Amino acid sequence: MPEGATIHALTQVLTWQSLCASFVGVVLGLGVGAMPGLTISLGMVLLLPLTFGLSSITAMSLLLGLFVGGMTGGSYSAILINIPGTPSASATGLDGHPLAQKGHAGKALGVSVISSFYGGIFSLGCLVLSAPLIARVALQFGAPEQFALIALGLTLICGFAGQSMVRGVVSGVLGLILTTVGQDPLLGTPRFTFGSVELQAGVLFIPAMIGLFAVPQIIQGMRPGAAGVIPRFTGGLTQMLPSWRELLRLNRSMLVGSTIGTGVGAIPGTGGPIAVFLAYDASRRLSREPEQYGQGSMEGVAAPEAANNGVTGGALVPMLTLGIPGDPITAILLGALIIQGLAPGPLLFKESPEFVYGVFWALLLANLMTLVVALVSVRWIVQVLRIPQRVLIPVIALLCVVGSYGIRNTFFDSLVMLAFGVIGYLLHRYRFPVVPMIIGLVLGQELEEQFRLSLILSAGDPLVFLHHPISAVFLAITMLVFLLPGLLDLWRRRWPPAA
Amino acid sequence: MKPNMTRRVVWVIAAVTIAWVPLAAHAAYPEKPIKMIVPWAAGGDTDAISRVFANAMEKHLGQPIVAVNVTGASGTVGAREAKNAAKDGYTILSIHDSIHTTYYTGVSDLSYKDFEPVCLMTSTPSVLAAYGKAPWNTMQELVADAKKRPGEITVGASLGSTSHFFPAMIAQAAGVKWKYVSYEGTAPRMTALLGGHIMLGETNLTQIDKVKAGQMKMLAIATAQRLPDLPDVPTLKELGYDIRYAVNRGLVAPRGTSEAVLVKLEDACGKAAQEPAVAESMKKQGTLVEFLGRKAYLDFFAKEDKVNADLAQALGYKRK
Repeated sequence: MPEGATIHALTQVLTWQSLCASFVGVVLGLGVGAMPGLTISLGMVLLLPLTFGLSSITAMSLLLGLFVGGMTGGSYSAILINIPGTPSASATGLDGHPLAQKGHAGKALGVSVISSFYGGIFSLGCLVLSAPLIARVALQFGAPEQFALIALGLTLICGFAGQSMVRGVVSGVLGLILTTVGQDPLLGTPRFTFGSVELQAGVLFIPAMIGLFAVPQIIQGMRPGAAGVIPRFTGGLTQMLPSWRELLRLNRSMLVGSTIGTGVGAIPGTGGPIAVFLAYDASRRLSREPEQYGQGSMEGVAAPEAANNGVTGGALVPMLTLGIPGDPITAILLGALIIQGLAPGPLLFKESPEFVYGVFWALLLANLMTLVVALVSVRWIVQVLRIPQRVLIPVIALLCVVGSYGIRNTFFDSLVMLAFGVIGYLLHRYRFPVVPMIIGLVLGQELEEQFRLSLILSAGDPLVFLHHPISAVFLAITMLVFLLPGLLDLWRRRWPPAA
Repeated sequence: MKPNMTRRVVWVIAAVTIAWVPLAAHAAYPEKPIKMIVPWAAGGDTDAISRVFANAMEKHLGQPIVAVNVTGASGTVGAREAKNAAKDGYTILSIHDSIHTTYYTGVSDLSYKDFEPVCLMTSTPSVLAAYGKAPWNTMQELVADAKKRPGEITVGASLGSTSHFFPAMIAQAAGVKWKYVSYEGTAPRMTALLGGHIMLGETNLTQIDKVKAGQMKMLAIATAQRLPDLPDVPTLKELGYDIRYAVNRGLVAPRGTSEAVLVKLEDACGKAAQEPAVAESMKKQGTLVEFLGRKAYLDFFAKEDKVNADLAQALGYKRK
């Protein structure tokens, strides 16, 4: 790294304008992240016109602050009220909320904030040290490779099935089926839309997610005499943060989460929601106490939270090196840069090194700022739980309706949210797990699209999935994950351990 | 305050309000912010271009133009909302050629005739690009190879949209057949092209950097003359194919919006189009400012509509 450019870039980030911008971005990010339905991309769209008048580095400080802050803030509502604030926080509540119910809300939030920082810094390191290399690998991910990765993701449905495998698979497959609503991803033919124009875009994930998670909570909270849906927080400050020893024990989960987050973030077309479930599952498989997962394991908060902030640095890899946005958020970042007159792409590192280093510094600043602001504000955030349930529940209900409306400014999406609320309630009532359906909804369309694309490219030859090495490896892992428990079982029955 | 006093205050307020209404009706349009529906995602080309124009037009209208992204169904959800909006000039729609393609491929039943043209803002010329390590360096080599193996060379496209119609026009003119691989939107298509998963794709001037870096080759551009930014890229016209193609973006209002309002909007758009800052900003987006007023834009619509209708028919699409 040329030293002059690096230092000059640092001086640009350390101006009061950029520092202020980063602070504002982080605070807004934590806010939109925490509000279910207000998304990071929505926050960015609102801020975008403000960036026109700013210098490019100040603009990036603002937007990256929002990005990083939003990824962290999503965990607040997931932990406190079991409603993910962003799609990327979908896995955080699995253990975060049980922790909060046990009275460890502060600790769960602390773990979330610190794992987020860990993931953010890890991915930044990868971005700085090996962006061009990561980009080259990410470009290898054509349709067969993406299909194989998503097929691996499908094994998660079993991982999150809970008590009954059959119920888990039913829920997951329902999710997959629901993603076939809307325009055929390749041909544009409307499917199951019943003439509705709004349904042509398919079932949008965010209204579905809000409905599935939030509405059952709300219905339960409104039943007379209901208690304990929202955990009461009574503790003092001492119970707030995790201790150093607890943090050290989480190192493995955070590392797993960060690696998966960075990797998945770098592959265009994937993103946070896939990364967090993969990270959660991988961390559980590698854990010494997997039985704690789902009951309030701190590892179960650390892994997905490290992963979703790992996505931030990862997602910037294809954006900065190739000028390709991997998700809606980087698409807006890219738009902001183009309006600033910078064309991210292969020449950016050569032609505007100062700007690239500026982005690195701004991302570091965003992570530090998020850490400080989030840790300082944890004590206030927890106070949300002091709000009486009869006030909090209607407020949440209102946010759900407004939030799902705001995705693309149509009331139709609020109705979708309500419909999924009913589905979520029925699932809950009849003891079907919700998470497999969420995973099905996240993966379904990509699964179909990449599968069909692969076959178009190979002129119908299904062996294409085995001819591509990356895809073959992923499929082998997938088979292993499916078959290994059964094989182990068989092994144990055949040769029972001498005990 | 005594009760009758309160009542009197209410009456006064009511009277003043009522007195204001006729005044307001005669007051100059616009007197409140104008909503501009962008039927595509925030941060995309259409969004960025429309927002720059909206910013420039605000000064001449004296009221803000608020861009609202209403996405879905290839721009149809937003277009439908605009069509059904009040015809008072406070809702306008940012539009591009997909209005023709979605109509003729049967994705939507909205056509340009559902709207009043306001102005054509910009034109983004299409470029035929190839993977950086593709075996051809010129259009001639590509066409010769494609003739040898019809239906084998892969082209990334969002089926039934401009990125599909453009290579299809070339195929028709050159007498070759591509194999179309469908990608939803520009970003996945570019990723596939850079990774060599597909061989050809429609792109535009924003991608020049990738050519310089050797990741992409630009084989031909669909303008009338070569562009100063791409002096070495031949036009399709000089190669013997009579094709001009661009993504053209403009503003429209719901059908039935009054003439006076349309004239105001057209005027503001025309002034915005003359601003050097706007042209500069468009250049960064690989786009040329190409202003057409209401009448000329209507003729342009009719002409483009015919071209797209013929092309859709040739591609085997049937309007349901």
